[in-house]
Amino acid sequence: MLLRLVALTLAATPLLLPGTAVTDEVQRDATAIVRDAVNHWRGVSSYSEMTMVIHRPEWERRMTIRAWTKGDDQSLVRVIEPRKDRGNGTLTDKNNMWSFSPKVNRVIKIPSSMMGQSWLGSDFSNKDIARADEIIDQYDHSLLSVGDIDGITVYEVESIPHEEAAIVWGREVLRIREDHVVLEHSFYDQDGELVKSLRSLEIGPMGGRTVALRQRMSKADAPEEWTEIRIVSIEYEIDIRDSLFTLSSLRNPRD
Amino acid sequence: MRTLAVLALLARRNLWRNHRRTIIMLGAISVGVWAMIFMTALTRGMVNEMIKDGISALPGHVQVHHPAYRDDPNINNLLPASDSDITQTFEGAGFKAWASRIKVPAVIMSERESRGVTLLGIDPARERELSFVSYDDVEGRFLKDAEDSGVVIGKKLADTLDTGVGKRIVLMSQDPDNDIADRGFRVVGVFHANMESFEETYVFAGKATLQKMLRVGDRVTEIVVLGDDYRDVEPVYKKVRDRVNDDVEVSRWFELNTYLGAMLKVMDGFVLIWVIVIFLALSFGLVNTLVMAVFERVREIGLMLALGMKPVNILGQIIIESMLLLIIGLAIGDLLAWATIVPLQSGIDISAVAKGMEMMGVSSILYPQLRLEDVVLANVIVLVLGFLASLSPAWRASRYAPIEAITKVY
Repeated sequence: MLLRLVALTLAATPLLLPGTAVTDEVQRDATAIVRDAVNHWRGVSSYSEMTMVIHRPEWERRMTIRAWTKGDDQSLVRVIEPRKDRGNGTLTDKNNMWSFSPKVNRVIKIPSSMMGQSWLGSDFSNKDIARADEIIDQYDHSLLSVGDIDGITVYEVESIPHEEAAIVWGREVLRIREDHVVLEHSFYDQDGELVKSLRSLEIGPMGGRTVALRQRMSKADAPEEWTEIRIVSIEYEIDIRDSLFTLSSLRNPRD
Repeated sequence: MRTLAVLALLARRNLWRNHRRTIIMLGAISVGVWAMIFMTALTRGMVNEMIKDGISALPGHVQVHHPAYRDDPNINNLLPASDSDITQTFEGAGFKAWASRIKVPAVIMSERESRGVTLLGIDPARERELSFVSYDDVEGRFLKDAEDSGVVIGKKLADTLDTGVGKRIVLMSQDPDNDIADRGFRVVGVFHANMESFEETYVFAGKATLQKMLRVGDRVTEIVVLGDDYRDVEPVYKKVRDRVNDDVEVSRWFELNTYLGAMLKVMDGFVLIWVIVIFLALSFGLVNTLVMAVFERVREIGLMLALGMKPVNILGQIIIESMLLLIIGLAIGDLLAWATIVPLQSGIDISAVAKGMEMMGVSSILYPQLRLEDVVLANVIVLVLGFLASLSPAWRASRYAPIEAITKVY
């Protein structure tokens, strides 16, 4: 989902939009809306610097992280600050995930048993970070409503996971702007109760595109506990060598 | 022979001379013997339940694995033979019950929680006799067949995960290439087990469904075979060994669960020690009673000696006295034990302390087990040791010099 995260921050320039007429847009089915939102960053590479804020009622923790992504299944994340965590990194490739900690000087492949655990102590799970493209083909999408916020069309799409999909949620609801910025991604349990949601709190231009500058993941039953990702800087369509997404690069930073 | 009859008569009359002391001694012996037998029956029952539960969780008396599987229950350590070959070899071989299954560690996830579990891919038709889950006592339903796409989880696990019949959960494990293998399942049934730890640990799914999810084709991780009696597994073990190649490991239940195996062995020693410890406490009372009885009658014994009774007969008289005491005490104690154990044999509910007992692997109902060997052991030990203990006062009584004894002033 880190990919999804970065991707969701991505907004296309109007030129890239397949159709301009609103009536055409409305006709598009929900799957296409989601697919377009995902396709938009398929094959796109990015380099970003972000601040991750983990907030609890008693304490708050900030981390500066750097992330490289390429396409929809490669990513490398490295912690820059705080100093004691410097060098901790996560590499994902397809659905596999490795983590490296300089303190133990060892690369660990995250086993399936640890996929449900928290990523870097945040409200994101390892699974959230490793999984990228399942949103398209593992769900049935349907359009709930078409709204309008500040003159921008917003689609509300309900995604229900397939019976055998490895997804625990009863349903997910996405609110996607017509320029493919995802405003909100909510996760509901099988009784229809909201469990957690990822919301874009600030949207603005950066790196030549409109992106969600601040996103917050929070649990419904503990609104005081959240994790925010704030984008400090981001560059798109840059040249990233494939060797960056390797275990040796995870172990030995060469940037 | 006549001397013996006279001695017995004397002994009996002497016992009844101070009937209060005799009754107290009889009470002590009876309670002691009762405690020996009753406690032994309770522990026997406990160990028996532990082994029965332990075997039903394994399950089976003999299991076949890849040689590395038991150290590392990994999906890579599959049995070399395909499941259809295994079925051909084992079907109709005359085992009481057998099954081939997939057993791997997995993670189960609901919307709110995730837990590590043991995932079992089974063919429900085969496992009916093996499983600790009674198919009819399942909320919802049990798996229909090996292709069933649902899962059955324990009550405790369902509560922890905040899920239930009809809801979906995700199971995650690894395939042989170390890639993540996961899939959504609908919970079709929730089972109850007499041990909470079973409800927490085991998740049942269709064998064929799991083979597909874990991408292992027609392979399994273990074969389990049930014999007739867990105390006698050798015939089953040999039969299984003959049916598999040398590249697999065949293990008996006490090798699979060494704790249980050791428990069974320790049990016999424990019974012996328990009986002896109680007897030691008892023997002080017994020796004291006999010493008193002798001490009171020094003049009388002196007179008998002076009249020509042989010292050996004095010895015999005291020993007969002691044996009489012991035999009556044993009879009462045995009867008492029998009378208390029989009504309890339908089970003692100890659910008040179930949590603690479960740590030992004991379920919350205790069935005392009265075994003839244990009763005989307790009785024989009491008689033999009682005889030895009464030798010393009897010996002293027979060694009195008649003149001194007669003139003894109390």
